[in-house]
Amino acid sequence: MRRALGPIDAATPFNAAPSASAAFSTSAALSANPPKKKGVVAKPAARTGRTLRLSKNTRTATARPPAPGERRALRKRVVLSNTNALEVRGLADLSTQNASRLREMGFEGQVLGLSNDSVDALRALEAFKATQGWSLFRRPASLIRRETVELAECMDGVAQQKHVERRMLFGERGGGKSVLQLQAMAMAYLRGWIVVHFPEAKAMTIAHEAYRPINSKDGSTAYIQPQYTARLLGNIAKANHGVLTHMRLSKPPELPVPVQSNISLLRFVELGAGDAELAWPVWRALLSELTTPSQEGTEGLQRPPLFLSMDGVDHAMRHSAYLDTAARPIHAHDLTLIRDFAAHLSGTSPLPNGGMVLAASSASTRPSTPTLDHVLARNEAAAYSPTYTTLLSNLHAHISALATAKDVDLSALHTLPSTPSTQIPATLLTQLKHLRTHLTSLARQNRSPADLLAALAAHAPKLPEWNPYLPLDSRVADCMASVTVQKVAGLSKAEARGMLEYYAQSGVLRQTVTEGLVGERWTISGGGVVGELEKAAVKARF
Amino acid sequence: MEGAVLSRTGFRRAVAACQHPAKRRVAQQPRRFFATPTDAQGRDEITPAPEVRLTNDPDQFSRSSTHADTPSAPSASRARGQSNRNTVANGRQYRPRDGGGGSGTGSAPDLRRLRIAPASPSYFTATPKYTDDLLMLSALHRRHQLLPILPPGQAPRVAWKTIDQYKTELAEPVRAKMYGVLVQLLKRLNYIHPSLLPEEVATALQGFKREVQPHLNVPKPVPVSQYGVAVAVGRRKSASATVHLVEGTGEVVINGKSLSEYFGRLHDRESCVWALKATARLDKYNMWVVTDGGGTTGQAEAIMLGVGRALLALEPDLKMAVRRAGAITRNPKRVERKKPGKLKARKMPTWVKR
Repeated sequence: MRRALGPIDAATPFNAAPSASAAFSTSAALSANPPKKKGVVAKPAARTGRTLRLSKNTRTATARPPAPGERRALRKRVVLSNTNALEVRGLADLSTQNASRLREMGFEGQVLGLSNDSVDALRALEAFKATQGWSLFRRPASLIRRETVELAECMDGVAQQKHVERRMLFGERGGGKSVLQLQAMAMAYLRGWIVVHFPEAKAMTIAHEAYRPINSKDGSTAYIQPQYTARLLGNIAKANHGVLTHMRLSKPPELPVPVQSNISLLRFVELGAGDAELAWPVWRALLSELTTPSQEGTEGLQRPPLFLSMDGVDHAMRHSAYLDTAARPIHAHDLTLIRDFAAHLSGTSPLPNGGMVLAASSASTRPSTPTLDHVLARNEAAAYSPTYTTLLSNLHAHISALATAKDVDLSALHTLPSTPSTQIPATLLTQLKHLRTHLTSLARQNRSPADLLAALAAHAPKLPEWNPYLPLDSRVADCMASVTVQKVAGLSKAEARGMLEYYAQSGVLRQTVTEGLVGERWTISGGGVVGELEKAAVKARF
Repeated sequence: MEGAVLSRTGFRRAVAACQHPAKRRVAQQPRRFFATPTDAQGRDEITPAPEVRLTNDPDQFSRSSTHADTPSAPSASRARGQSNRNTVANGRQYRPRDGGGGSGTGSAPDLRRLRIAPASPSYFTATPKYTDDLLMLSALHRRHQLLPILPPGQAPRVAWKTIDQYKTELAEPVRAKMYGVLVQLLKRLNYIHPSLLPEEVATALQGFKREVQPHLNVPKPVPVSQYGVAVAVGRRKSASATVHLVEGTGEVVINGKSLSEYFGRLHDRESCVWALKATARLDKYNMWVVTDGGGTTGQAEAIMLGVGRALLALEPDLKMAVRRAGAITRNPKRVERKKPGKLKARKMPTWVKR
């Protein structure tokens, strides 16, 4: 009751003074001045969002917003030098002279710099990545590891015998796959090869580039990416400037525009780089020019070996994010650039002048590629299975000569590494360990040597098999069927020491490089994984 | 003469009591236990007052024995001790006249003359049971102080009762200092060489030990296999890790993965190998670990504990170094349980006015 009266009391207070305009009125003040009707006032907009409206919660534009592409440029920016880092004294460069003699000159396990022109070429190829630690040092340099030396020797063989080395690098994140690829590119550049690099397969398949269908010769539909192709041609022109200048077109290209018949390849490529409409026919013509067989001797048409590489190949071994006219996903191998690369990787398109096709998988942005994973495991095991078979045959000969099983010598099996390494793949290592257990138990029971031989026969190498209940991506499987796969694992301790000494000389590691420090950092980095080594030694701030 | 001295000391005490409290202790005599032997006394002369037993002798309380009860008369005290022993031998308690055989004179006690004496001479102290214990232990100490003792630090580890337990048992206001004195005596008696430890001392010590002796819980030794592999288990939070440690070159495999694959965080990797790193053994051993339960930090620290234990099995001399590194002690903390009326273990719901 009291509450109900409250507002009325408040509306007509007893001591309300009558207003001046109604001096003689006895009616209540409010009746004399009836309240004005309120006009329709726009209500404040209904609150959106659930955050409390406080001044500190509202964002104020303090500076101009970043221009389109500015953030991306910042994200992708590659810094290759740091003037605060110390100059490493006596840092040799990877040069034309030593690129083919790395082992003889004792550079294995040491850091070698990159000369300015290689850096320019590699930068043009987008071989340096923003996530790599180039910005910590005075100038770009990389560790010459065992795999690098092997690649260099392989390239020497390629140059002499004009065969094609088709290889895929895979391994743990931060293991140095991309840098190994970069070193191969640098060495190919120094050898005067043509270097073509697809910096990131992901960029080609996530549907961020314009695409267009074309009818290929076999009647199927393929998709070209004109703008991307033009950019790629630009990169190729910049990187292979010196080599392409001296090469001329050998046959008239199929182009919608007329071209000078003996135009230099550099000019031709720049033509494609400048016009996206011409990019795809120019790419086709360039590839056919580069794969034209050289003539014997030093006279006539000469074409150098070709180095083709692609990073993040996992993304090119599955369906892309592009859709066809029926809104079905397009397989990445239907994108023409990837199709060309895959043809060279699988060996269906030959390189008559020799060369190297080097693919590297990506472990940090890894998509799900079951077929590729299987093929990698199988190829890796298949590469080791001859060694396995030799081991078995040696054991067979040894056991056949035995009188009793007690005398069996299993030292070859006891020296197996505890973890899968670059030499022994995981599947075969497990099989070998089972064989060891089996033979040891038989020997302990003092069974006849015939039993041991039977056990040997039962442990023939078994390669991983595809689960028949899962769909196999046959295009990927065919493409990868004969590719050499190489696992890039951690560094050895000697290599890790070279790396840490380089860090120390650059002034980013302020500790004395001792055996203890090397061992500790090697273990912490998961057995010498380079990226982790850098993280543990340089980037970590405890 | 004697009265004069007493009145003088009494007067002095009264004066001291009126003075400043901080200075009051100066006037007090240095504390001395009732049974502390002095040079003036023989070793066996001071014994606690025996229990007073009633005998059949009707005149047993009629003798004036005031001067004989004072401790200042050693000969009388000894005589009394003997006589008491006799009385105890004669009969444990009061028996009616007919039952009594030995003394012959047997008649009903004269209740008018009956004086009920306390069982213990400490009865009139503030803490009689404590004083009894103290006297008993100091008597034991005095009696056996010439027995050979163990070298310092070698005495068997014993968890004595805490002062709270002891106070609860006795229901007496025992102060910390008083209990400290008692424990000092206990420790001294505990130092007697175990092969010569008298039965009475062992029995007496038993009464002061805690029910559960944590030092008797000896951890099971970690075995080292014929291949030199030590297997130990470590736990932290709700994670557990079985660590196989063997001589090697610093390789680590955790659940089939490498250290960097399994632990993305650098700190966790350091935790895993901390026991080895702190003892500069990181490149001397290989680790093969199976871990489950908990989160990453818990698993990493469980591995740390397991590595510490396995390392001690292989190199027991590293115990102090590993302990200093903190890789031996199990951290017993667990997630605190949620309680009703609370949002989490302790978090209260938001306070609302109505």
